[in-house]
Amino acid sequence: MASFKKGLVYLLLSILVITQIYPLFWLVMYSLKTNEEILGSNFFSLPSSPQWANYKAAYKGGHYLQYLGNSVLVTTVTLLCVIVLSAMVAYAISRFKWKLGGVVTLVFLLGMMIPMQATLLPLMVMFKHMHILNTRWSLILPYITFSTPIAVFILSGFMRGIPAEIEESAFMDGASVYRIFRSIILPISVPPIMTVCILTFITIWNEYIMAATFISKESLKTLPFGVYTFVSQYNVNYGAIGAFLILGALPVLLVYFVLSERITKGMVAGAVKG
Amino acid sequence: MNVLKVPARTIAVFVLPCLILYIGLVFVPILVAVYDSLLDWDSINKAKFIGLDNFKTMLFHDTNFWPSVRHTLGYAVFSMLEIPVCLFVAALMNRYVRKANTLVSIYFVPVILSVVIIGQLWKTIYNPADMGGMLNGILNSLGLESWTRSWLTEPKIAMYCLYFVSLWQYFGYHLLIQYTGVQNIPTEVYEAAKIDGAEGFKADWYITYPMVIPIFKISIVLAFIGSLQAFDLVWVMTGGGPAHATDTISTHMYTQSFLSLKYGYGSALATSLVFICLVFTVFINFVFKKVEAKYT
Repeated sequence: MASFKKGLVYLLLSILVITQIYPLFWLVMYSLKTNEEILGSNFFSLPSSPQWANYKAAYKGGHYLQYLGNSVLVTTVTLLCVIVLSAMVAYAISRFKWKLGGVVTLVFLLGMMIPMQATLLPLMVMFKHMHILNTRWSLILPYITFSTPIAVFILSGFMRGIPAEIEESAFMDGASVYRIFRSIILPISVPPIMTVCILTFITIWNEYIMAATFISKESLKTLPFGVYTFVSQYNVNYGAIGAFLILGALPVLLVYFVLSERITKGMVAGAVKG
Repeated sequence: MNVLKVPARTIAVFVLPCLILYIGLVFVPILVAVYDSLLDWDSINKAKFIGLDNFKTMLFHDTNFWPSVRHTLGYAVFSMLEIPVCLFVAALMNRYVRKANTLVSIYFVPVILSVVIIGQLWKTIYNPADMGGMLNGILNSLGLESWTRSWLTEPKIAMYCLYFVSLWQYFGYHLLIQYTGVQNIPTEVYEAAKIDGAEGFKADWYITYPMVIPIFKISIVLAFIGSLQAFDLVWVMTGGGPAHATDTISTHMYTQSFLSLKYGYGSALATSLVFICLVFTVFINFVFKKVEAKYT
């Protein structure tokens, strides 16, 4: 009886593996088929001979490397700024004695409930006046601000637990607050900073709607927006579309393949602390 | 705790850069949106102050507004219904699978992909069979030809097709959260229960489920708030169509602001979206406070 139950559970879990992974596997097959094979509606079949030409077409037709480069650049700058800025605020909130600390915390807490889409139109008008619409800053700046609240929470939560003795003794030795922050607090806080990096990376790397609203120059598009552009332009070359989707998913999948445990743990930590 | 007494200047150095950026790019735009919502303003004519007329239009004359609210709430309800299922699976996994981490990371794969890619993938899956759509292909090969349809262009079912994709994508996320919660229950509790004669599903019912309520709440809140802002997936897959059948509040707002270029009216919708999000966040936290008070 017990083993029968166990069998049922394994069956259920295996079915879930199939439903979660088969669509992606199917897409890989799709990307390697000719148009005739795809339209032949034999969805289950494997490609008769892998059509790497689809990948060539996707690579040549869409500015893949350019999109990828833009995504890497925007994400890196955002990550660095988020870490520095939110660590500073988190330190001030969790360790300094000052009256307005609670208010500042509340301001960031409130920001977490605000839907990003509601700011799109005003931001676009603002950026136009500041002449940064259609530049990388029009992505990096809002990406930073929408990633800070959760970062501040994760980091300040951690910093609260750092024993005060460490700072006191450093203070005795004549270290300034800036020095303590740089040489003691930041190095100790590497684990939560990693969590923040993972959360921010996944959100920013996949962000689509701001990119599509604030950017129209081909040379500045990030990967998700680029994928969208490619798909809407090449709507008859099915194999190439599939190939471009795979290429678009590849970077984040590779990162996940290497860091899967870190990423899953980080995202749960982010959810639980948020 | 807060130990360091530092001069105000130092505090300013630490806090102001981030705070100014934050207020400037989050709060100022929201206030601007609230102000703009009181204007009759499009891309051509000069803005004119019209008070609350935009909201009147929204509530009483815009035939697409209430359906979009309904779709958004539907999104929220379906996403929340998924969480108990995730919890159930998580409890089973914890009991029957020794090293479930690999399994969990497999379920998690769709979560890390961009909605653009997920949306396009599922658009292809929902395609008619003669365009290579997988779903219709499966139905055909099972002899269920009468069930095949063009999933995303039939107003009555398009919305459910979108709900499903969302549930599919975030299943691994909520499963992982619930699994972490279940794992954190100390094994001694189960051992004690075993002595008292509670095992298997009985133990789940009396121990696992009550003890994960705090984690359960986190998933519910995330799913709920995420659904209220549902945008990307709908935008990528249907653009709110066919004939507004899949419009959510966000996509409706986006269409009005950026395609119809009704800046004033779009801002009114944006303001309502912020308002709805705030109200529901407070409401759901209130509900859970009651629930937690009852069970803990």
